[in-house]
Amino acid sequence: MNSAGSFLGGAKDRLLPASIPFRFFLSASLFHVLAWTVLFFAADEVARFRGGPGLTLAAIHLATLGVLAMTAIGASYQLLPVVTRRPLARDWPARLSFWLILPGVALMTYGMAESALTSMKTGAVLLGFGLAVFAVLTADNLRRAGSFPVVSAHGWLALVSLVAFVALGVLLIWDLESGFLNNHLSLAVVHMVLASFGFMGFLVLGLSLVLIPMFVLSRSLPDKPGWAQLSLTAMALAGHSCGILLGNMPLVWIALAAGLGAAGCYLWLMRKSLNSSMRKRLGLPFILIRASWGFLFLCLLLGGAVAGGADIPNAPVLTGFILLVGWLLTFLLGVLQRIMPFLASMHAAGKSGLPPLLSELTAEGPLKVHAICHFAALAACVGGLLLNLTLLLQIGAILGLIGAIAFAVFAVNVVLKLKRPK
Amino acid sequence: MSDGAPGSHWLAEDGLHVDTRGLGPPDPMIAVLWHIGQPGQRGPVTVYLDRNPIYLLPELAERGWHYEYAVRETDYVRLILKATE
Repeated sequence: MNSAGSFLGGAKDRLLPASIPFRFFLSASLFHVLAWTVLFFAADEVARFRGGPGLTLAAIHLATLGVLAMTAIGASYQLLPVVTRRPLARDWPARLSFWLILPGVALMTYGMAESALTSMKTGAVLLGFGLAVFAVLTADNLRRAGSFPVVSAHGWLALVSLVAFVALGVLLIWDLESGFLNNHLSLAVVHMVLASFGFMGFLVLGLSLVLIPMFVLSRSLPDKPGWAQLSLTAMALAGHSCGILLGNMPLVWIALAAGLGAAGCYLWLMRKSLNSSMRKRLGLPFILIRASWGFLFLCLLLGGAVAGGADIPNAPVLTGFILLVGWLLTFLLGVLQRIMPFLASMHAAGKSGLPPLLSELTAEGPLKVHAICHFAALAACVGGLLLNLTLLLQIGAILGLIGAIAFAVFAVNVVLKLKRPK
Repeated sequence: MSDGAPGSHWLAEDGLHVDTRGLGPPDPMIAVLWHIGQPGQRGPVTVYLDRNPIYLLPELAERGWHYEYAVRETDYVRLILKATE
């Protein structure tokens, strides 16, 4: 007789072995702790950050690649086969990508913190190969997609953005040594926007079309607004990149308007899903997810303020912080706390019977601590940036760190419960 | 097609049958949860799907419903659902 795991773990069931998504999610939890720790030590230089190696750059990449990308890649491996109705061609490349990305992020961020170019370059190469494996595996799955063309199209554009931001990232690291680029700062801005709004943005916007209705229990969403959000996001990214690189401000303004339009379509879809929800209580994850949608608009408005030269203290750094921590980190941590117990329950399910209850697999206490600390950290760091107060930024980083530790306790608890013999 | 749920359904001697084949995610899950949530429904409910409903199983557990695979093939799954005592 099949064990529960192997019964549901077959390729035709499109459920990967639990170890694959969970290794990404656990690593994301660890990098989450490290990101806030490094931010604490970088607090006195954060407000002045305009690129270049140092603790701030390391903290940013621990958050973006360590937490955001790790979470997105783990979730994509698990969810895309469900959306496309095609299993991943093989499991081992997913494991290989993890073993390239994990040391790649660690080494590259260490190099950034210590201004050690060799570590930075070696880490970037490992990371580049790991992301390439992810891209090939995902492209193969999308190529064979049998349903949901609008979600698949988001996946394709996320991969295009991935290739572009990785290529730019490698170029920027090599430029630190030889200084062959005469527009390093502009390219760094484009790199950040392609990574956050492009790679992460397309994945978040695309997977939300399936994930959010699944979480709230509402019917599938209409395609047309999904295509509109995709087209507007693509226009915004292309316009912003060209505008920044060519120094053409009207293009940047058009891109910002398109970005706001895309966010409007997205929010309309999410609202439609919430309005027809069959679930009475959406719980803590949706406090984070809803808040993240507000931060998405806020960061776009702040982007406009930066482009317009508004007199807001440390506006570029503030915009980046709201984008990465306010929108993306808040959204993904909300998703992660919903999806981890869900996946654990699915993996524990057998041929017949009752899988463990979600409530048995989660840990409400640590998640409450995390949510309180996360929002308090956001408020303190924003205050610290606006008032140029290092102490406030340090307090924010400590609150974020406490929240991250609480989140890691929750994540480890889910895995321990999954591993416990039944 | 019912007013409240996607897919089709009919009553037979062995209980309610719900056909979700051809629906995209998460509509099969919505259809099943809508039908088992109707007042007085305790099963058996026979569900026809064109994929293994891996995301449905935790939701069934939350609602105290037991499942059993009657058919499980690559593109065709039939589940029998019953409310637990």
